[in-house]
Amino acid sequence: MNNIMKNHANTLGAGLLQRVRISPWHLASYAILLALTVVYLGPLLIMVNTSFMTTREFMRDATSIPDELQFENFSEAWHKANFSQYMMNSLIYAGSATVIYVITAVFLSFPIARRYVRGWNTLFTLFVIALFLPPALIPQFQLILNLGLYNTRIGYILLLVTNPIGIIILVNSMKSIPRELDEAAAIDGCSYFRFVLTIIFPLARPAIATVVVLHAIGIWNELILATIYLTNQDYYPITRGMIVFQGVYGFNWPVLAAGIMIMALPMVILFLFLQRYIISGLTGGAVKG
Amino acid sequence: MRYPFGQQRQRWTPYLLLLPGMFFYVMVALGPSIATSFYSFTDARGISGAPVNWVGLDNYDEFLFQGQAAKDNLDHLKRTLYFCVAVSTVQFSLGLLVALLLTQGLPGTRFFRTLFFMPVILGVVIQGLIWTLFLYPLGGPVSEVLERLGMYSELLGGQDAFWWVIVVQIWSNMGITMMIFIAGLQSIPTEVTEAAQIDGANRWQNFAHVTWPMLTPSVNTNLLLNIIGSLQAWQLFLVLIGYRNGTQVLGYVIYAVGFGQTSGSVTTVFRQGYAAAASMVMFALVLVIGLSTQYILRRREERLLG
Repeated sequence: MNNIMKNHANTLGAGLLQRVRISPWHLASYAILLALTVVYLGPLLIMVNTSFMTTREFMRDATSIPDELQFENFSEAWHKANFSQYMMNSLIYAGSATVIYVITAVFLSFPIARRYVRGWNTLFTLFVIALFLPPALIPQFQLILNLGLYNTRIGYILLLVTNPIGIIILVNSMKSIPRELDEAAAIDGCSYFRFVLTIIFPLARPAIATVVVLHAIGIWNELILATIYLTNQDYYPITRGMIVFQGVYGFNWPVLAAGIMIMALPMVILFLFLQRYIISGLTGGAVKG
Repeated sequence: MRYPFGQQRQRWTPYLLLLPGMFFYVMVALGPSIATSFYSFTDARGISGAPVNWVGLDNYDEFLFQGQAAKDNLDHLKRTLYFCVAVSTVQFSLGLLVALLLTQGLPGTRFFRTLFFMPVILGVVIQGLIWTLFLYPLGGPVSEVLERLGMYSELLGGQDAFWWVIVVQIWSNMGITMMIFIAGLQSIPTEVTEAAQIDGANRWQNFAHVTWPMLTPSVNTNLLLNIIGSLQAWQLFLVLIGYRNGTQVLGYVIYAVGFGQTSGSVTTVFRQGYAAAASMVMFALVLVIGLSTQYILRRREERLLG
């Protein structure tokens, strides 16, 4: 056992050396990748670094390494920025809108994928053309205003319960669920509603997970609708709250950077765990054309 | 297709259950999108209960032909196109290059892939704020490096800001382009490229005659997404520099005119009919450029396959 592992390690090591030694191509590849890494990692590291500085250190030299880590920046940002309230709001918006969206989206996508409704083709096209359509901002505003939902949580959530890309992902993935299941279930006396709820939901889980994650991230990062529709500070999601915080703390970069970190951290962790779903959603279907 | 779950009344269940999703989509997205054309012919304001009057083509006339504002609008349109061309070409090429580098099985591939994709999920607010700090003018990292190189930029403070927004836009979204290319590259069977290699094709020939044609679906997707996406993009302008003369793109103009904007040097009022007309100009731009791109890509695809 030990020997095998040693051997394995040896061949691995040799392989690595060989590769590096014989291929100037790979060296060039790494040179380009490292240059890009500086551009991609640089801004992130500077933010992390700044969040641990004192204001005085930052003013003296914005790129210096802090003498000691200022964790107070984080508690100051958390308390002064009212972050717990904003985060709670964002969670409420992302949670409720995503749940409503996903349930309605599955019942919308399944009959389109199965061609169980007349005009399935037209229906699907309505979602595909969304990319090309004119911005909906103005009539949306008139709608919300006339419904009396301006500056309400309900109005804001209402604007977040739809997402054409998710429908496209769901329809495409549901096409690969075998039709025989429908027939077998129907023969056993299963109703359409129960079938979708108990058979299709679990079977389409990977695609649903993708859609859930993409939709929730989209809401967590949404800024414009929150700026247009919410004027009451108690309703602000984290994005809007962050912009307000920047307005007040714009010159206190260490505290501001700590605030950015607090806001970014949930997304980064979520991404590291759910990378697979996020990426499959963004690339799935794209390759088929 | 045959519907197995019963006939007559039961036949209506899928229609009934489809309704809520369709209703939401039509009400808050598709409907308003289409209604934009209607509002563009009115003097709608963003005030509850205010009468909405039909004004015919006045908004378009004003947007395109009347006085200094029309000249400014022409500048905004030009700037939107510059932005689109710069962002699409760089993002497309960089995304392709990185995808090619990251599908060779090099050690560290996962790390690079995760890193380059990371900004995508952070969203405009964090993307914008991180770069506001990175471009901090008083001894921030970029200004420091530029100074050492003997160069000078006003960074986000002056007219250079427009170009810096382009940089941040590409930094933020290159990951999507890269991922779509990686998925496309991974779907090319290795036998094909290996066969070409055995036949004596060098790296470049292999790419130009095998990989590139086989990558057509992802090339099409990325080009279309990049072009339309960058024509419509404006949110990073809001976070990075605000509404400032000499930097506006069309999407930001629509927002600022429609909902009022007082930050920066310009103040606008709620003029939603006019903003709707501007939205329709954006629509025309996206449609013309998007459809002609698609037409060219189709032709190319037929040539490659036929």
